[in-house]
Amino acid sequence: MNPLLRILYLFYRLFSSARYRALRRITPPGRAVVVGALVAAMMGIDPENTVGYQAFTLLFALLVVGTAFSLYFRLHFSAVRQLPRFGTVGQPFSYRVTIQNHTPRNQTGLTLLDNLIDPRPSYQQWRALQLDDEKYTRPFRLSQRRRINPFNLATVKEAAVPPLPAHREVQAEVQLTPLRRGLLQFSAVSLARTDPFGLFRTFAKLPLPQSVLILPKRYWLPPLALPGLLKYQRGGVALASNVGQSDEFVSLREYRRGDPIRHIHWRSWAKAGKPIVKEFEDEFFVRHALVLDTFTDRPYSDEFEEAVSVAASFACTVLTQESLLDLLFVGTEAYCFTAGRGLAHADQMLEILASVRPCADRSFAALETLVVNHASAVSGCICVLLAWDEERREMVRKLKALGLPVLVLVIHGHAPRKPLEPGPLRDEPERLLALDIGRIEEQLATLT
Amino acid sequence: MKPPPLLLGATLLFWGWQSGLLVAAVAMAVVLESANLVKARWEFSDEDFSRIWTFCSLLFLGSAVYTFTANEGPASFSGFFQNPNPLTQRAAGRASSLTGASLSRWLPIFFFAFMVAQQFSTRRTVPLTTISLILRRRRKQALKLRRPLPPERNVDIGYPYFAMCLLAAAVHPGEDQSFFWGLCALLTWALWAQRSRRFGLAVWATALVAAIALGFLGQRGIGQLQRYLENLNPQWMARFMRQRGGFDPTQSRTALGSVGELKTSGAIVIRLETKNDASPPPYLRSASYRRYGSPVWFAGSSKDDFQIIPESPPESRTWPLLVKTNTASVNIACYLEGRGSNALLGLLPLPRGSGQLENLNAYLVRTNSAGAVLAEGPRLAVFDARYGSGETIDSPPSTEFNSDEDLDVPEREKEALDAIIEELRLRGADRERALQTLGGFFADKFSYSTWQGRPRTRGTNDTPLGRFLLTTRSGHCEYFATATVLLLRRLEIPARYAVGYVVHEGSGRKYVVRQRDAHAWCLVWDERSQTWQDFDTTPGSWVETESKRASPFQWLSDAWSRIGFEIAKIRWGQSRLRQYLLIVIIPGLALLLYQILFRRGRKRRQDREEEPDRTRLWPGLDSEFYLLEKELARRGVPREPSEPISDWLERVSRACGLEDLREPLAGLLRLHYRYRFDPLGLGDADRAALNREARRCLEILASAAETAPVGR
Repeated sequence: MNPLLRILYLFYRLFSSARYRALRRITPPGRAVVVGALVAAMMGIDPENTVGYQAFTLLFALLVVGTAFSLYFRLHFSAVRQLPRFGTVGQPFSYRVTIQNHTPRNQTGLTLLDNLIDPRPSYQQWRALQLDDEKYTRPFRLSQRRRINPFNLATVKEAAVPPLPAHREVQAEVQLTPLRRGLLQFSAVSLARTDPFGLFRTFAKLPLPQSVLILPKRYWLPPLALPGLLKYQRGGVALASNVGQSDEFVSLREYRRGDPIRHIHWRSWAKAGKPIVKEFEDEFFVRHALVLDTFTDRPYSDEFEEAVSVAASFACTVLTQESLLDLLFVGTEAYCFTAGRGLAHADQMLEILASVRPCADRSFAALETLVVNHASAVSGCICVLLAWDEERREMVRKLKALGLPVLVLVIHGHAPRKPLEPGPLRDEPERLLALDIGRIEEQLATLT
Repeated sequence: MKPPPLLLGATLLFWGWQSGLLVAAVAMAVVLESANLVKARWEFSDEDFSRIWTFCSLLFLGSAVYTFTANEGPASFSGFFQNPNPLTQRAAGRASSLTGASLSRWLPIFFFAFMVAQQFSTRRTVPLTTISLILRRRRKQALKLRRPLPPERNVDIGYPYFAMCLLAAAVHPGEDQSFFWGLCALLTWALWAQRSRRFGLAVWATALVAAIALGFLGQRGIGQLQRYLENLNPQWMARFMRQRGGFDPTQSRTALGSVGELKTSGAIVIRLETKNDASPPPYLRSASYRRYGSPVWFAGSSKDDFQIIPESPPESRTWPLLVKTNTASVNIACYLEGRGSNALLGLLPLPRGSGQLENLNAYLVRTNSAGAVLAEGPRLAVFDARYGSGETIDSPPSTEFNSDEDLDVPEREKEALDAIIEELRLRGADRERALQTLGGFFADKFSYSTWQGRPRTRGTNDTPLGRFLLTTRSGHCEYFATATVLLLRRLEIPARYAVGYVVHEGSGRKYVVRQRDAHAWCLVWDERSQTWQDFDTTPGSWVETESKRASPFQWLSDAWSRIGFEIAKIRWGQSRLRQYLLIVIIPGLALLLYQILFRRGRKRRQDREEEPDRTRLWPGLDSEFYLLEKELARRGVPREPSEPISDWLERVSRACGLEDLREPLAGLLRLHYRYRFDPLGLGDADRAALNREARRCLEILASAAETAPVGR
């Protein structure tokens, strides 16, 4: 444990808390008055040559009176938040909050500020991020530090509340812009009023926990001719997905060794005196594997977020076509989710993608094993990778050796890059696409 | 947020009134507020705003250079760099502050053009990228890396300009309350627009009145505090605020009568360096005192007779104390510990017979009749003291004010002193015998000790000095010096009590003086040579005794002291580091300038190289159809700016009798449009056809021109 980092973490918590409170408590005119008072105080040090001290005392007095007015505010009210089921990263959405005034007085000049749960990370999460940032910071250079706070989940705008009559209810419309995928949790609703000068806000808070799932950002994809042919799916859709029971019944036949017991037709057995099983129609359809690489040592990296977005884009696009899609990735264990043709819908896959986290405690071999074992069931494979190193090239080589058409998309960071070496895709280099952050949509549009 | 109408105009008028630029302010206010009356608006692009901003910035920089020059900035700064001393430093600081004040006062003028551009623009805001270097850099990077551009943000600069005007209006001495009341009025106006609708007018007005009253009382309070501080006695302040170990020229409080261990420290207070390995002066005297009132020695009449020593020649850093022949020189570095009204001040520790101080950075040097040299200047004083035997700056014993001041003995001490004189049978003895006897007496019968025990019995006339002389016969230097001075005075020999330091500890080729080397001794008047002589009766073992008390970790504190000394030398301009820095900085700046020029050149070259790429980015610019267009225009049928090419071709073929060309031209135009605008572009065959057809038409035109020139 590094004591210096502990202290820095403490400072981070103190500073972020102070900043959050200051930004909520002090209105933009209030901030201007605070800055003006500071400037005037600096000028006022030399009272023989400037009258800055006069400005300082006046501005300071305004702040004191404003603060005095914002010490006490009580309001008895109730609120109901009408949230949508999903949101999408970067797409602002609005929702309504119905507020009921339980006091016998009309309430005016109120604004509504929705409270999200404290998004600040634990010490371990914060430390991991700092160490990661440090690793990629070049000494003595003005390097490109991370600009967006990865722990900032959403921005919620202050909403004006219409005049609230006594014992009546009104609706306020709040605009929220999600910044990160995952579960966005609300903790409370606050009604704010300002002091007479409009410098400071003071709040009446009502706990109101609720949540909304934020789906990953999606890109537009052109109509895709995905690699691979129709493939016989033994057991049909049901077995393809390992869930439910297909009803594509064709005929009865005698039992053969290895037939599943669940296919035995008991009444025919009773009639014929020997085991008879139901036979199902052979299923031929396209089934694709969407392989998401979760192996990165960088927590909260932009590359990983973009990889999830690209996977989500494929999930949405491919599932509108008549095909099955298996999402393969490794989290705490190896996962395979199948969707399409009535099994599961795109939104369910997006829900899964909204919660995917990078895998730091296992090796890439886990994904390779999962994908190679699954290769026999699929007709094509889309790999969304975070790097193009030897391990990943080896996996693609194995998939190619199994005769599986592969489309590889490699997410690349902000820094300028060299062209990728095709490696196992040397014979079909168009199947390897490097995606640069910031230009992904443009580059995906070139897919055919 | 936009300021309410007329607020900016009123603020400009207020600024003009406060800063004495009313005429300019009236003109500016009229121009700015006319935007509410004049309906005409200009459509400024981002580029236009950037240009106006650049103009304002250049105006600001140009004015900065002008003001700096007008306030003798270059001269004072070059003087400071060539000869860094407190005077040049003060001049440079003055030039900087005057420049800053003038620039702050003119701020509304510099950025007026930008404000006017916003007021008269169609969008009534300015793009944030114009002002923000960071946003501009991000935008450039995004363009360079072909990433999506960050969203455009526009801001209204009305309130920032309002604040700038108020800031500029505050840059003047506060002669009255007009600024305060004007500010109240303008802030009330601005806050009115922002007020909370939840509160009624009465509450708002009450709150505002309360704030103004509080502000008024506050600023009155600050004014009174400032006056109070100014009226405090600077000398009292000096003693109150900082008295860390230096000597006070007016008095010296001794530890006579104190019980217990005398506390001394091993901190280095003075560093000496002699020329040509000469031996250092044994004593460095800081001050001498004339009247004794147990346990304090007072300067007596010397307290108020400080005379200013002129720097001669001016700004030469040479301060002549006496006109005499100085045979030796020592370089002394010490700290000025006291705080005067304007600067730090302290007594300089000087060898006996100092005649001239050289290379001393001080604002002021004063001496008194007791031989104290008081310097006012930066905290660290490093100087050469030139000294020699003979005359000193001390006044002779007979003073006009009080002739027996150097013979004065307190009544309470007389009994003990007389007892010693009787014991030594010194009554009526001459000077030489008295000095010899007293020297021998203290050396033989007394011992040095920093410890004083509590007296077992105490009579009414019992004094610490009496106990020392008659009972304990053990004490530290202050006892010995005080006893000697008073004994000599009782023998009618003028004597004074001197304080300073003893130099005995070498450190390499230099000498260091620690705080525990502080010493007191006696000055005795020599009638024959008409000079004051040092007479030290403290047993010689005191140096050894004091040295034994050194901490085992003294080397650590010495190292720390050395670092502090070197830093102080740099800080107070006593080293040549500033010159070295300048020598390093100038080539660095030259390299930077070269880099900028070189990079600019390289960028231009790159741009030129990239130009063919741009044409590739805009396909169709090399279409041969343009040759045809140019040829027809040359023949007197130019295309109007907004005329579609098809209409123009129609006009050309009708006007110039080129009906034969109508069909080929129409076909050519279709190909040209496809080449120009079709995302799929032209196939090789079509591209060749475009080229061929255009050439053919040009040939036809040329032949037609030979037969019957076309034209209007």
